[in-house]
Formats: sequence, C-alpha cells, structure tokens
Amino acid sequence: MDLEELRDRISWLIRLRWAAIAGVLVTIWVAQRLLGVELHTGPLLLVVGALAADNLVFWGIGRWVAAAATGAGVSYFANLQIALDLLALTALIHFSGGIENPFLCYYVFHIVIASILLSRAATYLQVTLAIALLTAMTSLEAAGVLRHYHLGGFIPAEFFQSRVYMFGVLFAIGTMLYFTAFMATSITSRLRRREGEIVRLSEALRKHTEDLTQAYEALRYLEGVRSDYLHRVAHHIRSPLATVERMLAVVAEGRTGQLPERALEILERARVRIREMLALARDLLVLSRTREAPPLAQREKVDLVTVVQEVAQEFRRQAASASISLLTECPEFPVEVMGDPGSLKELVENLVSNAVKYTPDGGDVRIAVELRANRAELAVSDTGIGIPEDEREEIFGEFYRAASARETGKEGTGLGLSIVKAIVEAFGGELSVESAVGKGTCFRVDLPCDVQ
Amino acid sequence: MVAEGAGKKVLVVEDDRDAAEAVQIVLEGEGYSVSRAESAGEGLQKARSERPDVILLDIMMPSGTEGFHFVWSLRKEEEERVRSIPIVVLTAIHEKTWVKLYPDQSDPVYEPGEYLPVQGFLDKPASSEQLLSKVKEVLEAGSAAAQGGA
Repeated sequence: MDLEELRDRISWLIRLRWAAIAGVLVTIWVAQRLLGVELHTGPLLLVVGALAADNLVFWGIGRWVAAAATGAGVSYFANLQIALDLLALTALIHFSGGIENPFLCYYVFHIVIASILLSRAATYLQVTLAIALLTAMTSLEAAGVLRHYHLGGFIPAEFFQSRVYMFGVLFAIGTMLYFTAFMATSITSRLRRREGEIVRLSEALRKHTEDLTQAYEALRYLEGVRSDYLHRVAHHIRSPLATVERMLAVVAEGRTGQLPERALEILERARVRIREMLALARDLLVLSRTREAPPLAQREKVDLVTVVQEVAQEFRRQAASASISLLTECPEFPVEVMGDPGSLKELVENLVSNAVKYTPDGGDVRIAVELRANRAELAVSDTGIGIPEDEREEIFGEFYRAASARETGKEGTGLGLSIVKAIVEAFGGELSVESAVGKGTCFRVDLPCDVQ
Repeated sequence: MVAEGAGKKVLVVEDDRDAAEAVQIVLEGEGYSVSRAESAGEGLQKARSERPDVILLDIMMPSGTEGFHFVWSLRKEEEERVRSIPIVVLTAIHEKTWVKLYPDQSDPVYEPGEYLPVQGFLDKPASSEQLLSKVKEVLEAGSAAAQGGA
C-alpha cells in the first residue's frame, strides 16, 4: 500500500472515530433511558471525552503527518491510533459491566480496521493486545483487584466471577478475533497484490504505448523524408527534360526557321523519347504521392460526373482522330465521393487513356457512372485488344505492360494501372476488370460515397 | 492579319534561361513583346517598370518558395495597375493541390487564404498551343473585367 493511500485511510479512520463516539453516546442514552440498565455514566463519559480529545489530537497531528512524515512514521501513527482505540474500548467495557457487556464483540471492528490499515504482523500484534487487555480486565475484576461495575437490571450480579463463563467468553472472543484477522488480512493482502499487479501492468502498458508512439513517429518522419526526397529528385529530372522538350518543340514547330524533312523526323523521334521519360518521372511522382500515408491530399466532396465529363472532353480529339466514339453515360445529378479531386481525375484519365490507346480505329469507348445505394460505380469499357486471363492480375504491377499492349507500339510507362489501383485504395474503393481478348475490356471502380 | 499578341507585353519570370527562351520564341512569334526575369526580385522590379499585361511565373524557382513569395509581394504592390497584373503559373503536374497551400507561412507577405491569388495554371511542359491559348484566355478575361469595371 502506498503512503498516499495509507494517509487517506488514516483520515478515514479519524472520521469513523467521530461516528463511533456518537454511537457510544446514543447507546448509553438508550441503555439507560429506554432499557433501564443501571449504568455508571460518569466514568463512561470520561472515557468518551478522552477518546474525543485524542481524536482531535490525531486529526491535528494527521494533517502534520500527511505533510511531513515518512512511510514508517505514518505506519507508527496508524498503529498507535488502533492501540489507543483498543484501550478506549476496553475502558468503556470495563465501566459498563466488563464481561457482562455484549459489546465485547466490538473488538472485531478494530481488528478489521487494523487488517485494512496495517501489515499482517502488526494486525496479529493488535489482536494479541486486544485479547491481553480483555483478559487482564476480566481477571483483575474477578480477582477483586479492579472494581467491577455491575450492569444492574441486565444479568445476575455474580456472573463475572464464574470461571467457566469467563473462560468461554474469552476463548470465543479471542479465537473470533484471530480468525477475523486471518481472513481480513488474507483478503486485503490478496487485494493489495492485485492492485500492485494492476499498477505494474498499466505501467508496462504505458511504456509500451510510448515505445509504439515513438516508433510510429520515427516511421512517419522517415516516410516524410523519403517522399520529400523522391519529390525533389523527380522534380530535378522533370525540369530539364521539360526544358529540352520545349526547346525541341520550338525548333520542330518551325518557329526558328524551316528544317529539312529528315532533321524534322529525327527531332520528332527525340521528342517522343523525351515525352516518355517525362511521363515516367511524372507517373513515379503520382504513384508515390498516392501511396503516402497519411494521404497528403485533403479529402473533400468531389463530383464524379463532372470529373468524367472533363476527362472525356480532354480525350475527345484524340479519340476522334482514331474514329473512336467516346460515349459518356452519367446521371443528371452529381455523384459525390470523398477524396482529393486531383487523384480522382488522375484515376479517370488513366482508365480512359488506356481504353482509347488500346482500341483499334473505329471502336467504341464508353464511360459510365452509376449511383448504387451508397456506392458510386465508374465503368470504363472499350472494344479494344483485351487482356489475356493470365495477365489480368499482373497488369496492376509496377512497370508491367501486357505483351499485346507492347505489340501495339504505343507509348506507356507501365505505371498507369498501378496508379489507378493505388488511388482506388486511397479512396477506400474496389477495382475489378473483365476482358475478352480481341473483343474488349471493362474496368469497374466501386467508390464509397457516404458523405458522413 | 494582325498578330494575336500585337502590342501586348508578357513578363516571363523563370530561373531556367533555356525554358524562358523557348517560351519567348513562341510568344514573340505571335507578336507579343516579351521580357524576362530570373528571380522574384528582378520580376517585381520589371513588373513595376515595364507594366506587363500578363506574367508567366515558374513557381519552383531556386528557393522553392520564391514563386509564392513573388505572387504575394506583387499582390501587395501599392499601385493598382501593378498589383492587378494577371499571373499564369507554370507548374509540374500534380503540384496544383499543394499550390493551394502556401508552403512558407512565416513569410511576412503571406496572407491566409485557400488559394494562391493567380489567374491560371499551366502544366509543364505545356505545348506551344496550350501556352498561347492560356495567355490569350487570361488577357481576354482581364480586359473583360476591366471593361465591366469601367
């Protein structure tokens, strides 16, 4: 038991003692006035007065003890109080009939209090003190050394000198006190052990939580550094590439004068390669950003229908140049999902770009949005080259391009579907694909759209 | 036929000279008169002295936040004519989301707000057509606003 708790219980004991004093006064009044027992109230009231006086002293000292004393000091203080209580009880009983008084059994309360407050050994010592006081009082009364205060009108006068009765009462009370001490201290020590375990466990848990929090913070910091680094690298690669691309474009567009056909053709091929590298650096950046946890992107309401219409508009010219009909089927009302608008657009762009890219001239690309209960469903279907069954898992892997896609000779970084998958996951959605080789492919994205 | 950009002045604030030159060639080909600045400080100075009709700004100049600083400083200029010059920001794709948030909020010129007060964004690398149409769009929006206000 810690010091704090012991102090707490001592002040509880002091409050309890005031109640006991009141109880004794009421009992004296009831016994005398209502039951007609002949009591020697003078000495009894003297004892009660003494008890009240020492409780006042304890109360005063208790405040000082609480502020200054060490563990041993507080423990002596508790032992002293209980010993004095036993003495007071013995005195009260002595002046009110001694062994004739049925309140003999009240020693039990003191022993229970002792086992709550004191150590096990101290409790047994207090029990022994109680029995010694009781035995001394009864024996000295019986021997005529101490005056016997007979309780007139209660039980026969000679009773207190009966050896057998005295022995019986002392034996019964003595064993009762020891058993009480035994049971109460067992229970309290078990409780104290449990308490100790709980304190140790919660301490260990707190430590563990602290460790985990630290590890998490360290990881987050590293993730931030990594992502920042990647961002810088990608930027430093992209910037010069973009400049080169612009410079080549200016020349290729004839803004610096006409170039021979052959030079233009080679320039055009150089631009294609530069664009591939730019796309790669861009896709890597997008992929890394999407996978950042917690997502950097703020979550807000985004209308899927608006995004789909914007993307369709962006691809309309490219589709028309290959005579591909680009259809959108959207509801008249907004279909709102929670996420970052940039990412949602990226998702739709990647799917539509693939569909247009891998659909032969004259085919169809259809973008459909549907609201189903609390889900928004986006389906991008085409009449393109299709994806063989054994590649349907792999296409979502980084840098993977299906054999048939590579054969088309079209540009691609192999990161588009990885980005799609990462974005769908960041939105908490689901992604599925159906395809038939030579007939077409349909990607379905299922996004939660419950707006809190 | 009069060239599209005849009489219009464009200030290109861009630390990469090659990129700036490519932009200059495209714009001058359409009749714009172009001047260049390589830092935010030089940009502000030329904005005051030359009063361009539009500013093309590369947001990631050397310090990383110099572009943001330029925008806010320009928007705090004393003279209305300088303060209200439309700005088109050239960004790398996907930086748009974080362009919304001013990265260095301890910068004394910063004022809290959701968006950077600019009139347009162009993803780098933008094609010549995209560049020209964005500049034209911002200039038209600016003159429409000026007429509406008059």
